[in-house]
Amino acid sequence: MKTHTTTPAAVTLADLTARTGLDVLAHLEREVTIPVVAGLQAQGDLIVVPLALLDGVTVPRHARWAAVPAGGVELLRGAAGGNPHSLVADPGTCRWSRRVNDPQRLALGVLDAAAVAYLIHPEHGGTGIAPGTYVIRRQRERSESTGRFGNRFIAD
Amino acid sequence: MTAVTTARGASPRFDSSLSSSLDRLSLAVALRDEWLGHAFSTLPADRPAAEAAVTGLYRLAGAPPPRFVWIPSPAAAPPALQAGQPAFARPRLRAAEAPARRDGWPVPSRLASLQSALRTRLDRRIRRPAHLWRGQRPPWYHAAHTMAAEEGLHEGYALRDILWTAVHDPLAATLLDGPRPAIRTALLPSDGTEPLGLTFHGQHDAHWIGHYDILARTGLAGYPAADARQLALWAGLARSAGWWWPGDGVCVVAERPAEVHTEPLPGARHGERRLHHPDRPAVRWSDGAEVHALHGTAVPRWAVTDPTVARIHREPNVEVRRCAIERIGWDTYIEEAGLHLLAKAPDPGNAGSHLHLYHVPRRVWGTPGRVLLVVNGSVEPDGRRRRYGLSVPADIDDPVAAAGWSYGLSGPQYARLARRT
Repeated sequence: MKTHTTTPAAVTLADLTARTGLDVLAHLEREVTIPVVAGLQAQGDLIVVPLALLDGVTVPRHARWAAVPAGGVELLRGAAGGNPHSLVADPGTCRWSRRVNDPQRLALGVLDAAAVAYLIHPEHGGTGIAPGTYVIRRQRERSESTGRFGNRFIAD
Repeated sequence: MTAVTTARGASPRFDSSLSSSLDRLSLAVALRDEWLGHAFSTLPADRPAAEAAVTGLYRLAGAPPPRFVWIPSPAAAPPALQAGQPAFARPRLRAAEAPARRDGWPVPSRLASLQSALRTRLDRRIRRPAHLWRGQRPPWYHAAHTMAAEEGLHEGYALRDILWTAVHDPLAATLLDGPRPAIRTALLPSDGTEPLGLTFHGQHDAHWIGHYDILARTGLAGYPAADARQLALWAGLARSAGWWWPGDGVCVVAERPAEVHTEPLPGARHGERRLHHPDRPAVRWSDGAEVHALHGTAVPRWAVTDPTVARIHREPNVEVRRCAIERIGWDTYIEEAGLHLLAKAPDPGNAGSHLHLYHVPRRVWGTPGRVLLVVNGSVEPDGRRRRYGLSVPADIDDPVAAAGWSYGLSGPQYARLARRT
């Protein structure tokens, strides 16, 4: 972790929900420290992949990056329209762009974090992303019937 | 840019006070939601408004005003059309036999032609994003569908392009993939014989009518007065009634449903909705006609009320099958269907859980396949972890590779998964 990080070393789900205003379901353990992962990690139907791990996935030079605000960026909503996966970070420490070229067409966007960023979801809780550049992809399954690529997206 | 303003309330009008793109966008989004509201309206039909609009369209088609027969639901259409014969002759005309003059055509054909010609003229007045004409999907198009409309504008996309993804596409996706095919499949004959008459969809034509209407009312398109008046007639019908079947001298019009249940489309940013109710009909009319749908998939009633493995295996439609399996649970289904376990592996990043890859023989679903049974990384409120099945390509034999494929990763890449929540 870089030394200029402003995120306390031990963040709990309770801290995260208090800081962002985003909430999680009551049964999730709120007082446990959220692990911070530098590699590949999944949250339900999303996966966070270090950009360097992906061949052929590129971020265009002209990509517009947006600062991730205190209230977070909503990445994807669930099947019933609720339950969004949100990307949150301390202001000024993380930027986000939806412009990413992914030959598999699964990427929702790319994040570039100078300090720990977090994914938060009402049912899955929170998870920490170590500083670095990552692609966030969604999950698919095979479909014999419809869909442009013969596959369909998973929505949990 | 010109905009048509007429004295008729239903005609598109452009509020000239709109200046910024953001204002136009907000108005367009509000109007889109208003049109979706008409599409899913469960109010009793506004019969005088609907009859006035149909009469106006008959007049434009050169036909005298029809007599109206109101029916409680589209399910009542086949007998009503049969009773009205010969007014509802087959609308399909063979080129060799078609009367040379349009006024010799049956009324449904004339109305279809009227509508088609109107849409062709209006299409020339609106500016479709250029690349879409060439059938291309550039990267921004994919991106624009995943961000809120305002966000797209801030990202520097053109208002015209944003409106295509924020108005045209969501209306079309909601209507054309939603109530129209579901109702037709459930309630109208599908035995391959040509149905009587030609179906017009009233409130479920909101996608094309709403799109032209919204472009005019936001000042992005202007139409000749006659076209604006005709569009107002189609719009009036879409705001007041359900499906309808025009005939020579008589028009059959259906009431709107009494009940409609929808949910937002997953990942939808632009108001897209789909039919869904977990244990009731998603659409129900006052005469008891009903359509069942689970997460947008039209299903037979048994899939909602009494799904069994035997019924699932008799079902030829994969989407219906998947919905029914989810109703009984993947665990139960795999056990009762006796699927053969090909391989099992620890789930990387999900300590204590395993990935199970099952072979699905051709006799079960009609096509060979594989199902990967996975365990959720987080617990449900009842303390259990949900299991669910993912369909994966039939040539994958390794559970970890199958899980990787679902995220576009190789097996070795997925094996590096550090954590799953």
